[in-house]
Amino acid sequence: MPKRILAAAALVAFFAMPAAAHHGWSGQEEKVTELTGTVTKGVSLAGPHGEMQIKVGTVLWEVTLAPPARTAAAGLKPGVIPVGATVTVRGNKSTEPGHREMKTILVVHGDKRYAVYPERN
Amino acid sequence: MAWLEASAAGHVMRDTGVWTYAIVNLFHLIGIAGLFGAICFLDLRLLCVWRSIPLGMISRPAVNVAGTGLGLAAVTGVFLLATKAREYSDNSFLLPKFVFIVLALLNLAVLHLTPSWRAHRGRDLTQKEYRGLAIFGATSLVFWLGAITCGRLIGYW
Repeated sequence: MPKRILAAAALVAFFAMPAAAHHGWSGQEEKVTELTGTVTKGVSLAGPHGEMQIKVGTVLWEVTLAPPARTAAAGLKPGVIPVGATVTVRGNKSTEPGHREMKTILVVHGDKRYAVYPERN
Repeated sequence: MAWLEASAAGHVMRDTGVWTYAIVNLFHLIGIAGLFGAICFLDLRLLCVWRSIPLGMISRPAVNVAGTGLGLAAVTGVFLLATKAREYSDNSFLLPKFVFIVLALLNLAVLHLTPSWRAHRGRDLTQKEYRGLAIFGATSLVFWLGAITCGRLIGYW
């Protein structure tokens, strides 16, 4: 029995090595696209993901950022980008019809770049 | 739901730092793990697994751990909801989750009212009495699994 438990532990350790984190990207488009708009709701880090909202033309888009700690670590905190500022967001749009949402990997405001998912940029 | 979002709980969740939601979520999960793990022992015994172990030897530890887990899950759950209650109330999995929880608790209440359950700590039950309780084990598993499933899927809606 102890040998079996050790074997199970080794198996778990093996699969844990290249830790492919949950990113929940399955509902998004494969290609990376960009949107430019004005901030209507500033960055919120309430959780489980950071969020903001921008207006592109007349359309409101939900910008889903990284989890709060990672978003903050990228320098993107509440109030850093004021409401009304122009930003460009890069990421993967939702594939759900009518759902204007982008899982965002990079936010650009002026000459500031907030790479919330550095490994994806 | 707006009042919950505007409450002190909501402010704690949103304004105290970037790890708050994650930590509260973690304790919510720990509560659920305790609840469901213990419920499994109780329900499987009700379904006549481990026949050699009298129900009375399992029920007190199982109910205690399950009850503590439920309490922890419930308190943390209120805080999680308060983070953005209005948005969560639009989530299709929220109401079914609560329906399952209510059903699970009703199931528990009815079980506690049965003569067999009331007797089981003082003496071992007869085969017939055990068979009569089996259904409660089945429904309990279905309802708690339903609650857990809906709860998990909230995050994927």
